[in-house]
Amino acid sequence: MKKQLIPGCVLLALSLVITLGSISFLSPCVHEDGSFGACHWAGRSCMGIGAVLGILAVMALLLRRGRRGVYLSALPACLLGILTPGTLISLCRMSSMRCRAVMQPALIILFAASALAAAAGAVCAKES
Amino acid sequence: MKTFALSVQNLIRKPGRTVALSLLTAFLSLAVFGGTVVVLSLRSGLQSLESRLGADIILVPSEAQSKVSFKDLFLQGTAGAWYMDASVTEKALEVPGVEKAAPQTFLASLKADCCSVKIQVIGIDPQLDFTVQPWISRSLKNGLGDMEIAVGCKVEAGMGEILRIYDRQCKVTACLEPTGTGLDTAVYCNMDTMRKLLEAAEEKGINHKIKSGDEDIISAVYIKVRDGADIGQVNSALTGKLRKVTAVRTRSMITGISDSLAGVSRTVTLLIALVWVLAVVILLLVFLMISRERAGEFAVLRLLGASRQGLGRMVLTESALCGVLGGAAGTALAALCIFPFSALIEQQLSLPYLLPGAGTILALALGTVLLASAVSAAAGFLAARRLSRVDPGSALRGGT
Repeated sequence: MKKQLIPGCVLLALSLVITLGSISFLSPCVHEDGSFGACHWAGRSCMGIGAVLGILAVMALLLRRGRRGVYLSALPACLLGILTPGTLISLCRMSSMRCRAVMQPALIILFAASALAAAAGAVCAKES
Repeated sequence: MKTFALSVQNLIRKPGRTVALSLLTAFLSLAVFGGTVVVLSLRSGLQSLESRLGADIILVPSEAQSKVSFKDLFLQGTAGAWYMDASVTEKALEVPGVEKAAPQTFLASLKADCCSVKIQVIGIDPQLDFTVQPWISRSLKNGLGDMEIAVGCKVEAGMGEILRIYDRQCKVTACLEPTGTGLDTAVYCNMDTMRKLLEAAEEKGINHKIKSGDEDIISAVYIKVRDGADIGQVNSALTGKLRKVTAVRTRSMITGISDSLAGVSRTVTLLIALVWVLAVVILLLVFLMISRERAGEFAVLRLLGASRQGLGRMVLTESALCGVLGGAAGTALAALCIFPFSALIEQQLSLPYLLPGAGTILALALGTVLLASAVSAAAGFLAARRLSRVDPGSALRGGT
């Protein structure tokens, strides 16, 4: 039973890092004049997707039935998270910019790790 | 085959021990692969900078030294602009020993709508240029036309895309190969386009006029010295002849970077060596402890008819497999830290940084995994020797 909770805990931890990281250490570029670029909104979207993943992780930990379905529903959210910075929402044009050098690779890795955790959870989940 | 299957079973049934041994070799391979890739990238970055500069001396206005450091422009792509009279090129060509002189004009763009920083625009004279033109020619056969630009590899713009610089539309006609320097963040155009952009900048209230009032302005002149001529003497002659102009020897600039690179390289090598020594010592200790712990198990196997050589092979296979597992995990982790964050590493190091080719990286990764498994197998060899000498009777009675 405890082993089944491990993917859920990992997913919850990763979603917290994504949600809080998007507004702190993984935040996008800061414009000198205080205006917002597209990368700002990409960061905000990732924060939202991270929050959704967090809710799904809590549901997977608390629910006794339908756990596999919750994990499977996290997979498209992770895919959306991977595609958001750079593909669905454009970032700054220079690859040396913070949004491209830090935010994009870190969030892609974190969402990919979340997808792996969700997939592992779906495989391990035993439906009673 | 039987030995291999037995070794795999042993590893699976003792997951804690397998993970601990693999972690040690993972740590070793992480340091070796990560450190080597960083050092190789710095070396290829320096080579790229040397070949990219192509000039022996660069002439810049004296104010350039006090404004944005000239080195920052090359290493970090810091946008900067300073101007001098265009006649400096002709005057430089009159100095004995000067073979070629190519002017360049710099313009720092306003904060573009795409980015939160300024982009360095560099105007070149295709007829005279010998530094940027060879790089552009690789991507663009017909040269740069009016209002056409070539972008460095770090400017994310596709071919045919329109970039707005000072509200002027410039068409991207070439994307340059990476150089690992700050010049990768620059945009290149011909002198006619640069004049139009300077006019557009003036309309926005950015004054580029120089004190002499000349309309034709440049920012730097790249000098190629004739074969056999003394670069130091030519440098002195240029400094003597041209007023309010500083002659910078590229060799001295590269030597400074090379010294920093040597320092980073030494530190990384020392760290790798330290990790190596530590990991090997810990592996040896762990295998010796395991050999004590498993003495009973081996005594039973001996009593069941297993030969000394067979048991030795089994321990060696187990340790080599742990090495392969850990080596692959460590290399993968290092790759995950280094490749996606290469732009960040480059910024933090403030040195030319150009990742090696895919073939080199693949060979390095394979070599690291092999090295990790060889070190692990070598540490396991001692345990195998010790275990093969165990007397089954005394081991089962509790002694080793």
